[in-house]
Amino acid sequence: MDADHPASLAGQVARPRFSASADWIGLAAILAAAIIFYLLFPNNLALLTRVIGIVMLVLSVDLVTGFCGVATLGHAALFGAGAYAAGIAAAHFGITDPIAMIAAGAAGGAVAGLISGLVVLRGHGLGQLVLSIAIVNLFHEAANKAASWTGGSDGLTDIAPSPLFGVFAFDLWGRTAYGLGIALLVIVFFLLQRLSRSPFGMLCRGIRQDPIRVAAMGASVRKTLLKMYIISGLVAGVGGGLNAISTQVVGLDSLSFTLSAQALVMLVIGGTGSLYGAIIGTVVFMLFEDFVSAANPFHWLTIMGALLVGVVLFAPRGIFGTAAHLFDQWRRR
Amino acid sequence: MQSVLSIAVDALAYGMVLFVISIGLSMTMGLMRVVNLAHGAFAMVGGYLASYAVRDLGLGYVAGVVLAVAGTVVIAAPIERLLYRRIYNKPELIQVLMTIGITFCVIGIANYLFGPTLKTIPLPAMLSGPVDLGFRSIAAHKLFAILCGLAVAAALWYLVERTPFGVKLRASVDNTPMAAALGVRTKYVYAASFAISVGLAAFGGIVGAELLPIEPYYALRYMVTFLVVVSVGGAGSIGGALLACLVLGAIDTTGRYLVPEYGEFFFYLAVIAIVCAFPRGLLGKA
Amino acid sequence: MKRMLLAAVAAIALSGTAGAETIKVGVVGPFSGPFAIQGKNFKAGIDAWMALNGAKVGDDDVEIVYRDLPAANPAQAKALAQDLVVKESVQYLAGFYFTPDAMAVTPLLEQANVPMVIMNAATSAIVTKSPLVVRTSFTLWQTSVPMAKVATARGIKKVITVVSDYGPGVDAETAFSTTFKADGGEIVESVRMPLSTTDFSPIMQRVKDSGAEAVFAFLPSGPTTLGFLKSYNENGLKGAGIQFLAPGDLTQESDLPALGDTALGVTTTFHYSVAHDSPENKKFVEAARAAIGNPAELSFPSVGAYDGMRVIYKMIEATGGRQDAAKAVDAVKGMAWESPRGPVSIDPESRHLTQNIYLREVAKAADGTYYNKEIQTFANMADPGLAAAK
Repeated sequence: MDADHPASLAGQVARPRFSASADWIGLAAILAAAIIFYLLFPNNLALLTRVIGIVMLVLSVDLVTGFCGVATLGHAALFGAGAYAAGIAAAHFGITDPIAMIAAGAAGGAVAGLISGLVVLRGHGLGQLVLSIAIVNLFHEAANKAASWTGGSDGLTDIAPSPLFGVFAFDLWGRTAYGLGIALLVIVFFLLQRLSRSPFGMLCRGIRQDPIRVAAMGASVRKTLLKMYIISGLVAGVGGGLNAISTQVVGLDSLSFTLSAQALVMLVIGGTGSLYGAIIGTVVFMLFEDFVSAANPFHWLTIMGALLVGVVLFAPRGIFGTAAHLFDQWRRR
Repeated sequence: MQSVLSIAVDALAYGMVLFVISIGLSMTMGLMRVVNLAHGAFAMVGGYLASYAVRDLGLGYVAGVVLAVAGTVVIAAPIERLLYRRIYNKPELIQVLMTIGITFCVIGIANYLFGPTLKTIPLPAMLSGPVDLGFRSIAAHKLFAILCGLAVAAALWYLVERTPFGVKLRASVDNTPMAAALGVRTKYVYAASFAISVGLAAFGGIVGAELLPIEPYYALRYMVTFLVVVSVGGAGSIGGALLACLVLGAIDTTGRYLVPEYGEFFFYLAVIAIVCAFPRGLLGKA
Repeated sequence: MKRMLLAAVAAIALSGTAGAETIKVGVVGPFSGPFAIQGKNFKAGIDAWMALNGAKVGDDDVEIVYRDLPAANPAQAKALAQDLVVKESVQYLAGFYFTPDAMAVTPLLEQANVPMVIMNAATSAIVTKSPLVVRTSFTLWQTSVPMAKVATARGIKKVITVVSDYGPGVDAETAFSTTFKADGGEIVESVRMPLSTTDFSPIMQRVKDSGAEAVFAFLPSGPTTLGFLKSYNENGLKGAGIQFLAPGDLTQESDLPALGDTALGVTTTFHYSVAHDSPENKKFVEAARAAIGNPAELSFPSVGAYDGMRVIYKMIEATGGRQDAAKAVDAVKGMAWESPRGPVSIDPESRHLTQNIYLREVAKAADGTYYNKEIQTFANMADPGLAAAK
């Protein structure tokens, strides 16, 4: 790998290889995977719905880290803001329609994205990482303090979403939540594909590769990145909102540094700079975690650590990046 | 007035403990350009070894500390050879992933070997009592930590700025191929400075164990604190790290005295302000 | 199709026909992570109960299914509970160390027809969230109120409270302050410090400056208590005669070896001491120590789990192994027994445990180990927290 480019990791999973028709194949693949998972694990829909929520968070990290080269260990601030926005809308304002709750989540995420962006984009390198950590910790502390609104460390309860479209109730088996999650994921994924190919998306990639040149071209680096941060907040907020609806409780863990770090790890495992990488990384990480922690709760951390080291040694571009790279090499022969 | 003095002493002690643990990380990040999130894990290994040597084997405190620092370096050597050497000069994200992985493994193994309870390192009689400063009493081990911090700062400064090894180290950092062409065996220079920073981590873990007690999750619990210190000070700068620790110690301690319920806000807002005003850290190289 | 599936699942869930069967109990707790030792104690308590009472109720075998939840994470708690109910078809849910995790599961209970026995989570309000919740642990109100009585009895007039700034800390502070003020005492200051605090010297300075005669403190059990007690001693508060009052979380048995002499003489109020002197407790401690491996690691969550198992066995007996959550819960309302912690009973209205709270002092045994020595008993305390919330 090229050593001179600090953020070149993402560059390897370059775009133009796939045409627009591949987009539809991608969407179809997601739907197919959703149905296969549903059939394979019909009794684990709560887990699968949780995975979808986290996928949104990781996609959102990918937008700023993979596309724009902004390293962040504080992205849970956006996710948690979405979750609390949706939860507070339901618990305090009686907005229990799931679609409205998702909208509230997206709005909350976007506002958090704006605030995070304003702060995080002021730093570079290590400073940037630390700013993002500071932001997520401030959010966490604020939510802890505002216990009358957020329930503090006891969690925000009394979130009772009304049936989706007035028909499908959110029940024990979690089918409605799963269906809603898949629908949201497909919509978000479709829009993000469009976004990544748009001139705006290209501009972001340009900024990652060489911000000075982009600035010389006359584009505003800061404004562009800030916009991307807000979009990223929208996506994370939708994930948070989904989480609030399916769990009916929002805890401080959704605003934690731990969750932020996990999201970044999932993204790097899957492969930065690619929407598929974000999804694959999350699914692999969370199913692996669920499997290992059920099989051997006492050693799962060690096994997880070994997996991370293994990925760096044997698949440094992430699972999707490495696979795409191998496929490319095979095709060129 | 007495309270002000008293708080100042507490701030100094806290800052110096942070300094002893974080300076090794500042070295790896600034000189070797590795975002080493496993730094706290090495500090924890040092703490565990010292606790084992002093508590369970009944060795003296000094012997235990020396043994623990040496032991940590010995444990870290193969990790450097096999894992770290592959991530020098790699993108930050790869380094983050690898070092988080190492941290998880160390936590899991420590949990397995030593159990989930916290471990203490028994202090010798000389360090365990309070010392009367006239206006207040302070724990002797805190004074010891302050002295250790000053000694470490002086020794490191001398090593990097005044010795042949320091010259080679700075040369390797500034331009590895050129240094190698001039006959500096950069691999060994890197290995040696890695060993020094791990040794410092272990030493810091032991000296700071009274404030940051040793338990399996030590490595994750304080990871953020160490990162904050290094970024505020400016990676690679000894003076910067020292200044950062004193400033952060002062902010944290006064914040917790004046407005404990908003201590966390106080601290992180200060961090944001400093990092925004000095993007390269207080004394970082531009 | 969908309706058939639903019916099938419901049929499985509602079955539980007569004859020998395996009845599954799903236990959610922190078996890895920073709180692994508390999860270990859950398991030790459960193992001790089954070692002493067998793994059978009548003809039915009892099987425990464990699920790991390392830290408070309601979304994961819900996913685990659903997995246990739907896939493993457990008839009982138990465990739950953290409040938000328990809160996330309560909405499922009615639909799943499963009672929930909380073995730790200590916020008063949980039992109000569903009529199918029974709790065999304690609440912070229960353990903090007696401390206020102790303070008044000792003739202390001015107290400063210092608590970790999160739900349980706030509970402890409110419980102590309300009671102490009602008895004519004065709270000179209430300090809430962030959970992440590691250096407590500035807090101690503040305690000193406040002019209080005693400090009431609450921190979650674990690493930070060591630093807190150390700075209490080192900053000369002990020397200045400022008394230290706290619920027993601060001197839980598994932390005592590390706290050592630092904790010697510290008085706390709590529902259980491993050193409680009764034949019931001797039997329990012996079995639980065998189960946990390292005897020094045994602490309070184990007794919540042990009594929780007693309650579940009674529920199984009362329902004859049939899945009927409402009947099971009804059967244990008012149930009274001799627990290792002393005599206890389940309050029929709140479904929370009425129990003795003890004033204890950390003492050193002949063999050099430390223990919580009970010196005073507050008999039959119900949960004052629920009453206060009304």
